[in-house]
Amino acid sequence: MKTINIKLLSFVTATVITLGSCSKEYLEVEPKGTNLESNYYQNQEQAFAGLVAVYDVMRKNSGGFENMITMMNAGSDDHYAGGGGASDGAGIQGFSNYSITANIMPSSLWNDHYQGIFRANYLLTKLSSVPMDAALIDRYTAETKALRANYYFNLVRMFKNIPLITVPMSTSEFYTVVQSAPTAVYAQIEKDLTEAITNLPTTVSTSESARFTKGAARALLGKVYLYQNKNTQAAAELAAVNGTPGGTSQYGYRLLTNFGDLWTVNNKFNTESILEVAHTNASSIGWENWGNGIDEGNSTNVMCGPRTYSKIASDAPDLPSGWSFNVFTQDFYDFIKLDPRFATTVLDMKDLQARGKASYIGGYQDTGYFLNKFIPRRSDVTTGTGEPVLNYRQNSYVIRLADSYLMEAEALGGTGARAQALLDAVRARVGLASTPVSLAAIKAERRAELAGEGHRFFDLVRWGDAATKLASRGFKAGKNEVFPIPYKELQNTKLVQNPGYN
Amino acid sequence: MKLTKLFIFCFLSLFFTIYGQAQDLVVKGKVYDESGLSIPGATVLLKGTNKATTTDFDGAFEIKSPSKGILVVSFIGYTTVQQSVNGKNSLTFRLKSQSQDLNEVVVVGYGTQKKSVVTGAISSVKAKDLEKVPNGRIEQTLQGRVSGVTIAAQSGQPGAASTVRVRGLTTFDTYGGNNPLWVVDGVIVDSGGIGFVNQSDIESIEVLKDAASLAIYGARAASGVILVTTKKGKSGKISVNYTGFTGVSAPEKTLKLLNATQYGALMNEKSVAGGGPILYSDLTALGKGTDWQKQIFSNDAQRSNHEVSFSGGNDISTFFASFSVQDQQGIVSKPISNFNKKSIRLNSTHNLSKKIQIGQTLGYTHQKGVGLGNTNSEFGGPLSSALNLDPITPVVITDPIVSNSSIYTSNPVFRDANGNPYGISSIVGQEMSNPVAYVNTRLGNYNWSDDFIGNVFAEIKPIENLKIRSSMGGKIAYWGDEAFTPKFYLSPTVLSSQNSLTRATNQTFAWNIENTASYTKNIGSHDFTVLVGQGVYIDNNTRGSYVAHTNLPVNDYREASFNFPLPTAQRVGASYTSQEHRVTSLFSRLNYSFNEKYLFTGIIRRDGSSNFGPNNKFGIFPSFSTGWVVSKEGFWKENKIVNSLKIRGGYGVVGNDAIAANGFLALIDGGRNYTFGSAGSTISSGNSPSAPANPDLKWEETSQFNVGFDAKLFNDLNLTVEYYNKKTIGILQYVDLPGYVGATGSPLGNVADMENKGIEVELGYRKKMGEFNFSANGNVSYLKNEVTFLGQGKEFITNGVAGFQSMGEITRTQVGQSYNSFYGFKTAGIFQTQDEVNAYTNAAGGLIQPNARPGDFRWTDTNGDGTITNDDKQFLGSPLPKFTFGLTLNLDYKGFDLMAFAQGATGNHIFQGIRRLDILNANYQTEALSRWTGPGTSTTYPRLTNNDTNGNFGNSSDFYLEKGDYIRLKVVQLGYTLPSSFVNKVGAQKVRFYVTGENLLTLTKYTGFDPEIGGNIMGVDRGYYPQARTFMFGANVQF
Repeated sequence: MKTINIKLLSFVTATVITLGSCSKEYLEVEPKGTNLESNYYQNQEQAFAGLVAVYDVMRKNSGGFENMITMMNAGSDDHYAGGGGASDGAGIQGFSNYSITANIMPSSLWNDHYQGIFRANYLLTKLSSVPMDAALIDRYTAETKALRANYYFNLVRMFKNIPLITVPMSTSEFYTVVQSAPTAVYAQIEKDLTEAITNLPTTVSTSESARFTKGAARALLGKVYLYQNKNTQAAAELAAVNGTPGGTSQYGYRLLTNFGDLWTVNNKFNTESILEVAHTNASSIGWENWGNGIDEGNSTNVMCGPRTYSKIASDAPDLPSGWSFNVFTQDFYDFIKLDPRFATTVLDMKDLQARGKASYIGGYQDTGYFLNKFIPRRSDVTTGTGEPVLNYRQNSYVIRLADSYLMEAEALGGTGARAQALLDAVRARVGLASTPVSLAAIKAERRAELAGEGHRFFDLVRWGDAATKLASRGFKAGKNEVFPIPYKELQNTKLVQNPGYN
Repeated sequence: MKLTKLFIFCFLSLFFTIYGQAQDLVVKGKVYDESGLSIPGATVLLKGTNKATTTDFDGAFEIKSPSKGILVVSFIGYTTVQQSVNGKNSLTFRLKSQSQDLNEVVVVGYGTQKKSVVTGAISSVKAKDLEKVPNGRIEQTLQGRVSGVTIAAQSGQPGAASTVRVRGLTTFDTYGGNNPLWVVDGVIVDSGGIGFVNQSDIESIEVLKDAASLAIYGARAASGVILVTTKKGKSGKISVNYTGFTGVSAPEKTLKLLNATQYGALMNEKSVAGGGPILYSDLTALGKGTDWQKQIFSNDAQRSNHEVSFSGGNDISTFFASFSVQDQQGIVSKPISNFNKKSIRLNSTHNLSKKIQIGQTLGYTHQKGVGLGNTNSEFGGPLSSALNLDPITPVVITDPIVSNSSIYTSNPVFRDANGNPYGISSIVGQEMSNPVAYVNTRLGNYNWSDDFIGNVFAEIKPIENLKIRSSMGGKIAYWGDEAFTPKFYLSPTVLSSQNSLTRATNQTFAWNIENTASYTKNIGSHDFTVLVGQGVYIDNNTRGSYVAHTNLPVNDYREASFNFPLPTAQRVGASYTSQEHRVTSLFSRLNYSFNEKYLFTGIIRRDGSSNFGPNNKFGIFPSFSTGWVVSKEGFWKENKIVNSLKIRGGYGVVGNDAIAANGFLALIDGGRNYTFGSAGSTISSGNSPSAPANPDLKWEETSQFNVGFDAKLFNDLNLTVEYYNKKTIGILQYVDLPGYVGATGSPLGNVADMENKGIEVELGYRKKMGEFNFSANGNVSYLKNEVTFLGQGKEFITNGVAGFQSMGEITRTQVGQSYNSFYGFKTAGIFQTQDEVNAYTNAAGGLIQPNARPGDFRWTDTNGDGTITNDDKQFLGSPLPKFTFGLTLNLDYKGFDLMAFAQGATGNHIFQGIRRLDILNANYQTEALSRWTGPGTSTTYPRLTNNDTNGNFGNSSDFYLEKGDYIRLKVVQLGYTLPSSFVNKVGAQKVRFYVTGENLLTLTKYTGFDPEIGGNIMGVDRGYYPQARTFMFGANVQF
C-alpha cells in the first residue's frame, strides 16, 4: 500500500509542477491559416493578393442584394423596385418610391466602397517597399489608384458629401473624420486616374481580363469629367477611347455587330467592353456568404427573373425562376416597344402568359415586363455546388463602347459631325437610321441603348431632368439627387446628413 | 441522494430477508410519526450489522435481534431514532419529521456543502425529481423546476436543444456567451454540447446563480454554471434496475387556416383591392381543398425509452453502470424527423487505502437523427409550406390532363405509390413546396454524434482534515452528417438539377486538469474549510472535413454511394481546423462558520485566457457571501410559524471570455477574391487587413449582488426568496465602426453594459396524513433586463438583431430597453372611412398618411413630425418573459402515486410571423376572415390588398406581436407500485407501472403552434416546430 501511496503522491506532485506554470506563453496560441498584418506584404504574391482585395469590391456593380445595378434601376423612371412585396428590400423600395431615409439606406453601398478604399490606401503605403519588379510595382500602384478612383466616383455620385480618406487611419482618427467638398473628391479622382493612366497597360492578356487598362481608366476619367461638366476634357478623353465611330479604336474597342451578343453570358470581355465586372459560378457560395468577398456570383440575374416561372410551350424561353425585381414601367415599355432593341431588353412575360406559352406569379408592382438583359437562362444555372441562384456568372459592364460614344457625343454638346457620327454608329449597329444629333436625341438613345444597366438615374440627375421625370415617383429636387448617408455613419461621428434627410 | 439511500436500504433488507440467520429474539414493532400515524416503508436496522427490514403498510415490522441489540429506524424526511431491544420483543418508534433541507448536501463546485451552511444562491434538482419526467433532453428537466432559469425549447424536433438562460441575459450573444457553463462530473463541457447526458444517470443537477457561488468558476461563469453529477455506486448488494416506457405522440394543436373556398374569396378580394382581376369566379367549386397540415402531422409518432442500470460495491470499490436507448419520432413529416440515442455509463470508485481513493466516470453516447432541414424558417420546409401553400393545389394530381402537362412530364417530380405526381402549386411559389413531396428530398439523411466524456481522479488524505484531489477530465466528440439530395423538381423554384451526396465529419477534443487541496479545521465553535486549487483547460481543438459528390449515376438514396468513380470535378471538399482555446486558473475558497450560525464564504479566482490581448490576458474574480442563521440565536423563540430562518447575502465578480480566438489581433484575412480572365472561372485570392488590433481586449465582467433567505414555516413549508442585481460591464461585442473606416471585419471590443434584476421564490410543502402523502414544490422568478450602455453617444445598435423577411429589423437593442426588444410601428386602429384618413392631419394641415385608404392601419406618429417614417417606430415588448414559474404536485396513497407538473411564462411577446409577406397568395389563418371589409367591420385586422402601400402587413408593427403568456401541464404521471410481499416472491424488490402524459394542456392566447419558442432571440415564430403531446406507459423494476 505504501508504494501506491508514494506513486500517487508523486503523480499528483508531477501534475502540479508541470501544469503549475500559469505562464503567459501557455496562453499564446499561434493563429493558423492567417497572417498578422504587421508582417504581411513581403513579396509579389502577397502584394498581388492585396491588389485582388482591392478589385474585390468591383463586384458591387452587380453582386449582392443591394448591388448598384438593381438599386440604381429601381430609382429610375424605367423601372419599379418590384420584388416580392412593398417591403422586399426596404432600401430598394424606398429609393424607388422616394421614401428613402437614412435608416433604410442600404449601408453596403457606402461600406463596400469604403472597404475598397481602405484596402487601396493600405496597399499604396506598402507597395513601394515590396521586393519585386519595379515596373510591376508601378502597374499595381496604377491599378490600385484607378480602382480607388472608381470607388470614390461611385460614392460621390451616390452620396455627394463624403469623407475623403487617402491614407490608412489610426484608431484615434476614426471618429474625427469630416466630409470633404465634392470638388475635392473629384480632384482626387482625377489625380488618381491621371496618375494611373501612365502606368496601366494598353492591353492585358486573356488571363488578366477584368484588370484595369489604359483605355478603361481614360474612359472612366472622361466620364468623371462629364459628370463635372468639364466637357472639353471629357470629350478629349472619350475620343481617345472611342476612336473613329464604328471603327476599331487604338485600344482595340469596337462595337459588337449584334446587340444581343452583349448579353450572351459566354461573350465576356468582348471588343465593346471597356470596364467590365467579372462574375463566375466557380465560387460556389451559399446564402451565408452572399454579397461578401468570396461571393463571385452575379445577383442581378436572380433578382430580375420572373417569380415561379414555368415553361409551357416548347418555344418559350427556358428560364429558372427569380425574384421579379426591376420590372420595367409601362412608360418604358411604350418607349421601347418599337425599338429593335426591345426583345433583347424586355422579357415580355405579359405576352408569354397571355399566349399560354409560359406562366409565372406576378410579384410586387408587376407589369409583366422583365429586364431581359440580365434574365438568367436555364443553361446558366450552375452545375457546381453552392446555392444555384447566387452563382450566376454573367459579367456586367461599367462602361461599354456604346456608352462612351454617347458620353462623348454629349460632351460635345450634342452637335457637330463627330457627335452625329457617334450617335449614328450606335443606331446603325441595331439597324436604325440616322437621326439628327441633339442632346434630346442622345438622351433618348442612351435610354434605349443602356436600359436596365444602372445608368438612367445618374443620367437624369446629370441632365437636370430628374425632378421632372421622377416627380410622379415622389422625387424632391434638391434632396433626392443623392442618397441619405446611412444612419450608422452619423452615430458618434462628425458627419453631417445630406440636405432634406434629417 | 435520499433515493440512493432508500435503494441501499432496500437492497440490504432484501439481502437479509433472504439470507438472514436465526437469532435469539424476534422483535415485533411499529413505527409512527409525531401525529401517531404509522409509517410504512421505514428501514429498521440492527445496529452494527447489515441486517435490516422495512415496515409494512401498517408501519409494522419484525426483525430478529440479540436481546442486547440496538435497532435503528430511519425514514426519509424524518430524524433517525434508535432504541435498545433490552430483551423486549415489542417496540414502538416515534419518528420526528425533520427539515429535509438541513442535512441535504449540495454540490458547490470542487466539493459539496451542507445546504444549511450554503451562503450563495444555488438551486438543485435531485434524481428523485427527475425520475418521473420522461427521458428527454437534460435542459428540459430543469424547465420550471428551478427558479431563475429561463428555458425554452428551440424546436419540437426530437433531440433538439433548448435555450437556457440563468438569471436573464448576461451578455450580448456574440459567441454563445449567454449559454451557461455545463460541468459534468467536474469536466467542463463546451456550451451547446450537453445533449449526450442521459437523464436517468443523473444524481443531481445544481444551478449556481449568484456571483458568490459562481466565482469558483470565475473565468467562464458569468452566464451561470450548471453542475451535473452522475450516479455513483454504493457499497452493498448489487442492484439491478430497469426503467422504461413506450408511447405515442401527436400534435397538441394545429392551426386554423382558410379552406379553398374561403381562400378563393379572400384572394379575389385582395386582388380586386389591388387593382387586379377576380381570380376565382366559382368559389363553391373550390370546395374545402387541401388541408396541408393534415398531410404533415402524425398522430402516431412512436416514442420509447429503455434503460438498465447496475450498481453496487463493497468497502473497497463501488460501481454504477448503465445502458439506455431512446427512440423518438417527430410529429411533423415523420419519415424525416426522428431521433435515436444510446448511452453507456460506467462510474467507479476504489479505495486503495484508508487514505487514498481513486475513481473514474465515463459516459459514451451515440446520437443519430434527422430533422426537417428547415424549421422555424420562413424560407420553406414542410411546416412553413403547409402554412403558406394555397389549399387549392391537390396533394396528388389524379387528373390525367394535369399530370400529363409539361411541368410534370418534363421534370423529375416525385410521385406517390400509384405513380401520380405530387401537386405543384402554380399559385404560391418561392420556397414553398408540396411538403409531402419534400419528404423525398431528405429520405435517408441523418446526422450523428459520438461523445465520450469522463474523468479520472485521485483523492489523498495524507493527514487528518487535509484532502488533496487531482482530476483529469476529457471530452472527445465526433459528429457529422450524411445527406443525399436527389435530382428533383418540387416547383419551378425548389428544385435540384443534379443530385449530390455529402458527408461532413467533425471532431473535437477538450480536456482539463484540476488539482485541489482542501483543509478543514475545527477550533471550538469555529469551522474553517480552505480550498486552494489550480486548473488548466483546453478546448475547441476542433477539426472537420466536408465532401460532396455530385451527379451520381443513381438517383435514389438507397443506392447512393461514395464509391461510384466520379471525375475529380464532381468531388469537392473542404476542411477546417479551429484554434484552441486555453484557460489557466488559480483559485481559492474559504468557508467559515461559527456554530453554523454565522457563515462566511470568500472566493478568489485568477484566470488567464488565450482569447484576450497581451495587456489583459488575466482576470481576477473575487466574491464573498455571508449568512446568518437567525433561528439559532439565543433570542430566537421557538415558534410554530417560523421554524427556522437563514438570511444570506453576497457580492462578487465573474467573467466571460466567450469570443472568437484572435479577436485582439490585426490579421490579414482572405476571401476578398476576384475573378480574372476571359474564361471567367479562375478566382484569385485577395487578402487585406480586416480589423484594427485591440491589444486592450479584456474580460467581460459581471458583478452580482444577491440577498436571500431560507425559512421553514409552519413545520411543513420551506421558503427561499432571492433578490439579485446583476451588472455586466464591458460586454464583448464586435465594435460597430463607422463604415467609412473601411474595415471589413469588426474588431472585438468591450463595448456595452447591461443589467438584470430579479426576484426568485421557491416554495416547498410536504404533508403526511396517514398513508396519504402530499408534497408541492413551486417556484416563480421575476426578471427585468435592461441595456444600460452601448458606447459613447450610441443610442442603439443593430448588430445581432432579428430580422424578418423583407421587414428588416424587428428587434433593436437600445439603452434603457431590454436586449433585442421588439421594435416597430404602433397601430392606432384602422381607418374606417376616407374621412378618417383625411382627418389624420399634421400641424401644417397635410395628411399624415396620404397613401392610406379605408381599412388601413392608422400608424402612431410617435415623434409628432406629421409624417410616418421609420423614426416613428417604437419599442413594442420584449421576447424575454418577465415571469417564469413551475409547480410540481406529488400525491401518494398506499401503492398509488400521482405527479403533476406545470410550468409557464408570462410577460413576453411573440412575433407571430408564420405567413410569408412577399408571397401575395400565401394562405391565411382564419383570423383573416374577420378582416376589415367596410366601415365598422374591424378595428384590428386591416383590409386585404395586393397593393399594400400603407404597409399594413409589410411593416414591423404590433399587429404581429402577441402575448406569449402560457401555462402548460407538462407532465402528469399516475403510478402503481405492486405490494412488496408480492414482488418479493418473484425475486424483485420493487415493481411499479405508470402512465404518463406529456404536454397535455397548454393555456395560452397565442395563435401560433406553440408559445414556447427558444433561440438566441426568443419569441420569433417563423413556422415553429411545436412540441408534441405524448402518452406513455412505463415500468420501473428493481432487483
